[in-house]
Amino acid sequence: MRSLTSFLRQNVSAFSAGLALIALAFHLDNDFYLRILFMGGVYFLCATGMNVLAGYAGQKSLGQAGLFAVGAYTVALLTTRLEVPAAWALAASPLIAALAGVLIALPSLRVKGPSLALVTLAFGIVVEKIVTEWTDLFGGAQGIYGIVPISHADEPFTMRQWVVLVIVLCVVSYAIIARFLRGRFGRALLSLQTDEIAAECAGISVYRYKTMAFVIAAAFCGLGGALVAQQNQYFNSDFITFQLSIFILLLVLLGGAGRLHGPLAGALVLTLTETYLARWPFAQHFVYGALLLFALYLMPRGIVGLLDSMPLRNRLSLRLPDPLPAMPVRAPERDTGEPLLALRGIGKAFGGVVTASDVRLDMQARCIHALIGPNGAGKSTLINIITGVIAADSGRILLNGRDITRASAHERARLGIARTFQNLRLFGDMTVMENVLVGAHTRIPGRTESQALGHAAAVLAFAGLSDHAGTQARSLPYGVQRRVELARALAGEPALLLLDEPAAGLNPQETAELGRLIRKIGGLGVAVLMVEHDMGLVMGISDHIVVLDRGIVIADGNPGQIQADPRVIEAYLGTDEDLGSLEAAAC
Amino acid sequence: MLITLLQALVGGLTIGAIYALVALGFSLTYATTRTLNFAQGDFVSVGAFMGLAATGLVASALSIDPASYPWVYTLAALAATVAMGLIGWPLYLAAIRPFAGKPGMSWVMSTIGFGIVMQSTALLIWGPGTRMLAAPLGDGVLRLAGVGFRSQEVVVLVLAFLILGAFDYSMRHTGMGRCMRAVALNRDAAALMGINVTAVMTISFVASSALAGLSGVLIAPIVSASLFMGLLIALKGFSAAIIGGLSHPRGCMLGGLIIGVVESLTGLWSAQWREIVVFVLVIVVLSIAPNGMFGKGVAEKV
Repeated sequence: MRSLTSFLRQNVSAFSAGLALIALAFHLDNDFYLRILFMGGVYFLCATGMNVLAGYAGQKSLGQAGLFAVGAYTVALLTTRLEVPAAWALAASPLIAALAGVLIALPSLRVKGPSLALVTLAFGIVVEKIVTEWTDLFGGAQGIYGIVPISHADEPFTMRQWVVLVIVLCVVSYAIIARFLRGRFGRALLSLQTDEIAAECAGISVYRYKTMAFVIAAAFCGLGGALVAQQNQYFNSDFITFQLSIFILLLVLLGGAGRLHGPLAGALVLTLTETYLARWPFAQHFVYGALLLFALYLMPRGIVGLLDSMPLRNRLSLRLPDPLPAMPVRAPERDTGEPLLALRGIGKAFGGVVTASDVRLDMQARCIHALIGPNGAGKSTLINIITGVIAADSGRILLNGRDITRASAHERARLGIARTFQNLRLFGDMTVMENVLVGAHTRIPGRTESQALGHAAAVLAFAGLSDHAGTQARSLPYGVQRRVELARALAGEPALLLLDEPAAGLNPQETAELGRLIRKIGGLGVAVLMVEHDMGLVMGISDHIVVLDRGIVIADGNPGQIQADPRVIEAYLGTDEDLGSLEAAAC
Repeated sequence: MLITLLQALVGGLTIGAIYALVALGFSLTYATTRTLNFAQGDFVSVGAFMGLAATGLVASALSIDPASYPWVYTLAALAATVAMGLIGWPLYLAAIRPFAGKPGMSWVMSTIGFGIVMQSTALLIWGPGTRMLAAPLGDGVLRLAGVGFRSQEVVVLVLAFLILGAFDYSMRHTGMGRCMRAVALNRDAAALMGINVTAVMTISFVASSALAGLSGVLIAPIVSASLFMGLLIALKGFSAAIIGGLSHPRGCMLGGLIIGVVESLTGLWSAQWREIVVFVLVIVVLSIAPNGMFGKGVAEKV
């Protein structure tokens, strides 16, 4: 009940805007103006779905017209061929379109950039050609007449009733979608748009979230198509063009991709443009072209982005809970005597280069492990194998005795393996707080958004980042960015934390602070494995050191043992014979 | 039956050669700028109309019938190539330069916008109707072992393969080709080695647009030219480039020929289903080989 009232409160402006528009609809008695409102609403619906896909997930689909067609022909065929009641047909259309969305998502998941553009474009063209050429079923350019509209008191909907229906649909969809986009779902999509690997290692299933985005966009486009077909009571293949796909994408990009109110701005501006230019089709075409050409150059973040950057608007300041909850930690597993993480016979080769060969390692909770070795020894590869970023050729990985060799990276993150990266992989456009919330992705279900915020704030305090909570990650100094990445990993409440060269690029003071922080993390009960070249740091804080050379573990033990080990010295400094042959070569 | 198949094969290779030219254009700009001209289709159709306009101009100035003088067509082809190449420069300045090297694919929208503006202007000049460009060597049919070649098919095949070969050679053996490949591999390093990267990028867009314009003039005598014909040609050229592997010029050329032949063979069975078969094929190929048939995936270093 409380969540319902807060839901209503959050959307007061949306509901009042909806009511105002409905009042306007009752005031207008000219079908021309009502039609403009109707089309504006349909555009808004399409844009709302498309914003999830193109704006948040960053998948710029060029085939949405195909999904618009699926919705439209669903109502057309259901009501004319199968005589399904009109309301049922309308309700079915987004579902059928969602199924088509899965169909387009499957090949789209494997490709990026221009290839993704082609796959979606090809989908749109295939649908366009099918509805044009398969005249027996779809009527082609002749179209399908007699599509049954929904009716009120046995009378087909009047234009005004259509407008009211569309506005209600718009407000409801906005409220629901906004709720998801403001929280965990929206953050997951934005993060995978920035960096799929970092998102996957934070526990986000990139495949699943992208598919969901495709399905949501498809359902909304299908609904838009169905509304247009039913209102017209007629639909033909001329509606389904490449231009429509471009228009739907333009709605989002012009309004502001990845902005909650982008679709609104886009639908408003493009509906008005369309209305005023309808008399001059040539000019309309020309203006669209010019908009496409220059809008993104002048307003890279769309209309909403432009308004946001106005100096008059005061920035939302982030209010952190007071007092802070305790630093969240994962409940320890029952002690089975097994090591926390065990590598058994791990092997990996890239072509002929062996980067891991029969690697056997044990890691214990509360223990700081360091992995050292010369360049090219296979240290980062080993971290990538443990986190599931790359698959090992052979061997087994056991977490608390459980075989995770075949688990995906996001699955391993959920089970408690977190990491940082050698080259920073922060979500630069997001705030520090949002980065940490993405890190907590797998821990948030079952918590409210404010609880999640509280936990994230505790993590920030632990890492000494409270002052930066509301700052955009990209704008921070390098050393602080490294700490943000560490905090993001900690937010996942890991059992095992992997740090890939955490001290790289830090000054001596920052390195010392980092050392203290890592010990503190060990104190939480977390097992840490760090790859590091700074021997002062490694020898100072590690409990256990593993030395890797050309994919082979050549030594392991405590810092004292490692420093005295002749094989380690040889791997790092070479032998006297090497020196001899070097001198010989120089002569 | 065999004759029909061979006939379809010749037709397929001809149209495929056109796709290969367009695909090569895509490959050139992708290599140097990591962007593509999504208005390539408009460059094809406007190129055809530039050729038509040049033919008309010469014909009325000398009051001759252009169909009986092959050199008029040659002139038209040159005019279209040069004119479209020149338009490639403002295309680069307005639609590519602001977005090249930045995340997101804003250039998709900006190049489409450029194309729409260009097409609208062309529509204002030439109108939406279709026109016929006379084939330079007449409408005669050559017969070779029972298989008929239309003269224009021979012209297209010979010319296209000459151009494709010349590009292939110059990418490997000339200074400009080496510069292009250097910029493609590592833009910053190329700049540090003293290569004028902006010039290389501009040239790649000029060349790509010129190729599109030439394809328009080459195809116009076979299909009737309209300002809307370019969209599908460019889409298939794009498909050819992607399934062949965008960063692999020879793959792009082969992709074009494959798409042309598949389309032509499907046409034997049902003309309406040609596009559907081609694009379904593209989706299937990409689902199996995300980087195209010859493209290599770039493993991201983590």
